[in-house]
Amino acid sequence: MKYDAIVIGAGHNGLVCAAYLGRAGLRTLVLEAREAVGGMADLALTVGRLSPTVARELGLRRHGLRLVQPEVRVFAPQPDGRGLTLWGDAALTARELADNPLVEGEDADRYATVDGELRAIARSLGPVLSRIPPDFSWTTTRAAMRAAAGVARSDERLWHFMPMAVRDLLEGWFESDALRAAVAARGLLYTALGPRMPGTSGVLLTDAASSNSGLAGQSVFARGGPAAVSAALADAVREDGGEIRTAARVIHVKRTGDRTTGVVLEGGEEVDANVVVSNLDPKTTLLDLLEPEAIGPRLSWRAANIRQAGATASVTFTLRALPVFPAAYDDGRRLRGRILIAPSTRYLDLAMRPSRYGASAEQPLLEMTIPSLVDESQLPSGAGQVARVVAQATAFEADAKAIGDVVTRTLDQFAPGFAELVTDRKVFTPRDIQREYGAAGGHPMHAEVALDQWFEWRPMHGLGGYRMPLDGLYLCGSGAHPGGGVTGAPGRLAAARIVGDLKKGRLKVAA
Amino acid sequence: MAGGRGGQSYDAVIIGGGHNGLTCAAYLARAGLRVVVLERRHILGGATVTEEIVPGFKFSVASYVVSLLRPEIIRELDLVRHGLAVLPVDGTLTPTDDGGYLWRVDDHGVTLREIRRHSKRDAEAYEEYALLMAEMARFVKPLLGESAPSLGGLRDPRGLLGLAGFAQRFAALPEPQQTAFIQLLTMSSADFVSQWFEYEPLRATLSASGIIGTFLSPRTPGSAYILLHHYMGEVDGEYRAWGLPVGGTGAISGAIAAAAVEAGAELRTSAPVARITTRGGRAAGVVLESGEEIRASVVVSNADVRTTLGTLLEPGTLSAQQDAEMRGYKFRGSSGKVNFALSGLPTFSCLPAGTTDVYRGMVSISPSIDYLERAYDDAVDGRFSRSPYIDVGFPSAIDPSVAPPGKHVMACFVQYAPYELAEGTWDDQREAFGDTVLATIARYAPDLPGLIVGRQVLTPIDIERTFGLTEGNIFQGELLLEQLFSGRPMLGSGYATPVRDLWLCGSSTHPGGAISGAPGRNAAVAVLRARRGSPPRVAEAAA
Repeated sequence: MKYDAIVIGAGHNGLVCAAYLGRAGLRTLVLEAREAVGGMADLALTVGRLSPTVARELGLRRHGLRLVQPEVRVFAPQPDGRGLTLWGDAALTARELADNPLVEGEDADRYATVDGELRAIARSLGPVLSRIPPDFSWTTTRAAMRAAAGVARSDERLWHFMPMAVRDLLEGWFESDALRAAVAARGLLYTALGPRMPGTSGVLLTDAASSNSGLAGQSVFARGGPAAVSAALADAVREDGGEIRTAARVIHVKRTGDRTTGVVLEGGEEVDANVVVSNLDPKTTLLDLLEPEAIGPRLSWRAANIRQAGATASVTFTLRALPVFPAAYDDGRRLRGRILIAPSTRYLDLAMRPSRYGASAEQPLLEMTIPSLVDESQLPSGAGQVARVVAQATAFEADAKAIGDVVTRTLDQFAPGFAELVTDRKVFTPRDIQREYGAAGGHPMHAEVALDQWFEWRPMHGLGGYRMPLDGLYLCGSGAHPGGGVTGAPGRLAAARIVGDLKKGRLKVAA
Repeated sequence: MAGGRGGQSYDAVIIGGGHNGLTCAAYLARAGLRVVVLERRHILGGATVTEEIVPGFKFSVASYVVSLLRPEIIRELDLVRHGLAVLPVDGTLTPTDDGGYLWRVDDHGVTLREIRRHSKRDAEAYEEYALLMAEMARFVKPLLGESAPSLGGLRDPRGLLGLAGFAQRFAALPEPQQTAFIQLLTMSSADFVSQWFEYEPLRATLSASGIIGTFLSPRTPGSAYILLHHYMGEVDGEYRAWGLPVGGTGAISGAIAAAAVEAGAELRTSAPVARITTRGGRAAGVVLESGEEIRASVVVSNADVRTTLGTLLEPGTLSAQQDAEMRGYKFRGSSGKVNFALSGLPTFSCLPAGTTDVYRGMVSISPSIDYLERAYDDAVDGRFSRSPYIDVGFPSAIDPSVAPPGKHVMACFVQYAPYELAEGTWDDQREAFGDTVLATIARYAPDLPGLIVGRQVLTPIDIERTFGLTEGNIFQGELLLEQLFSGRPMLGSGYATPVRDLWLCGSSTHPGGAISGAPGRNAAVAVLRARRGSPPRVAEAAA
């Protein structure tokens, strides 16, 4: 059987890419190693970064996707029982902050203004994230001039804010440490970075730009959990004639000279196609799917140096009853969004510090959702509630039980009695993430989201345009621009690149 | 312009006689301007100064080696004729945790043999790495000039031209150099060097160049740029060569001062400026603490941006937005300096007995990257590093003129010493800091404590008080990506300030700190261009 295009991996970006390729008329096959589609999107707590363009163009609503967003975005408790809440409505948030003893100086008054400022900067980043990055490995003066003009046209504030440390960004905006920490944590989520690290501001701005949100961020849930996004995408793929095979692990990309010719599955089966798109992480794509001679020693060395060390653990708790956070006691709605254990910037410093030594935090940065509060369909029968948590920093080598204990103990400090509510828990360390999903290093964003692996140079300089070094081989996952999160953006842009290459005659599919 | 109210009048008054202020003065005077430099201290040079703190011992009190001094400045100001003589500093010794050592010297063959002793792979990579970094230094050299490429903003045609020229030069680089340049701007120094090397003391010592003077750890992104910043230097055309001026770093200021005087500039010491005067929104001169008023058509400040715009300028001169931007500029000093007067040279126990060549180079206390990270964590926690990174030099072993016969000077640059302490004050902790530095070196040179004749401890608060460097930042502000190129000190400001006829010429401006003279020279070019309304040729300014 010959296909026009094969997508390796049915992660959400692989499905997005396949759906667009199918629409462009390519006979497309998605090969997924696991039994289920969706990949690491399963680990996402919220899905508010899903590109509205992708959702609209692929008709995800028609394919059954229902998104819900409670009014609350973030609830950030303190260990002493106090806390602060950021709502979707900036004015409501500001009113509440004005009466909150954790909030000092003019912060409550400034909140709405700063919210607008963040949104404005994020808006100027939007176009950068929704386009294929320019190629900076020019060889001609003309191309160099074009790139220079592009840089000159960009909003110069981006060059100021993107490289900043998120701690510095927030210090410029607010005086209250609790408020600074609640916002700054977004610059660290799913990374191995600390709040003093340059570039974390860029992570926050990227999150704001892709979720069209301000200081509070988003708290969008998919009915049925993040798997519902993948299910809708799989439907969209099939509608356009695409095929999806699960339990089909690709172990090798075939080539003739510099041309991709298909893939080899575990078990020896071969499937031919002129276009092969990898939704796997860049390191696995370049070093495991290809033999070293295909890319040569220089590229092999560069690929080995891609920074992909994950520092995030994922923990799912089944609880007897709803945990009690003293500061949310007055209003149960506060717990429906993201619950953030990031009480101070000092806490963030200490939570992320171990990642520089390859160790795990004793007091981790936690983000938790209780999806069952928003979506009863996610409630297993007999259980009180389900709480899903991501914990940082977690070492690759960390022991799952130890991490589970640390997370339970930490939550127990902020919601006294939490530990007694736990009836079951499931822990995924970075090593588990690597084993289960095949992401080398166990990084939920495939490659570290940092300034040195961003834009044109994600995953590396010269390969930021989705084309891999073999003709016909492409990258469509989070290891490509604009990076990780359940956005669908890399998948969409990779498909656009492929379709463009076909039109230009740069690439041919079988007639 | 006529003098008014009894005060003297000049074309240009320069606040601060640091090496950049003197450089700027020399260039302005050579262009025919009547220039006066006003230095707060009794001695010229700012942080580029030699002082006899312990009788008979001459300390390069603050900055201690030179590499980044622009060759064109040496040439144009004829600094050699004015007495500048630079001796090479040869080699870096890194004592290791296991009692061994890594000792790299200028002789490449010797160094490769030495590295091969620890790792064959690293020895092979070392050559490639050294070549690459030399190429990088060559590539960034034009960026050190006055026209920093402007990022964003079509409103600045010269910046755009700079950007286009830069893009063209970038395009001409082979891929490995393009990649390295992007990485040097964005990566951590530890990640950068670890791509090539596996031997931990080598990784640590190379990446330590990425933390000097900066509140970043080697594993913190942004430190690779600091590494590059330290590679930009050249002595006699050789990149990454460090030198020591005969007579200490003060001799550099002395030579530049002599050039300025020869060109007609007036240099005044013990003349602290109290404030900058303005008239009709333009700088009009300065008032000294003595009350003396000096008028000038331009005021150029060698003080840092916060001192200049936040302290010396009348409050309310800047708009709220400008004031906020200026206050957002980050200093956060994180370095200290301890200078020792010694009765003899210490013996490093890791070396074979009788080894003497080592004193002609530096000794780097950087056994592992984890060691440097822990040193950083202490600073984040608000205390000086319990086991600091120390760059140790023995200037008297290279230039005997700085110590009495048979006696020696040992200069120790120390990272980290945070300006803000969690508990207590630097005045309480100064001696404890000095003791920690001594004890740290004594781990590797046990006879050191018995050799001490005297010492001078400079904490960030001392650096601030003595040299007027805000928060004790030796670069007049952190070399963070958002504070480089057209972002230094504020987006698009360059050497100009929001106040007309008030200019900056210190390390707060592009291309930042170290004894380079580049900000001073670039500022002079910008001032002269503004005066003539058209861009002068540099040679013209220098003529």
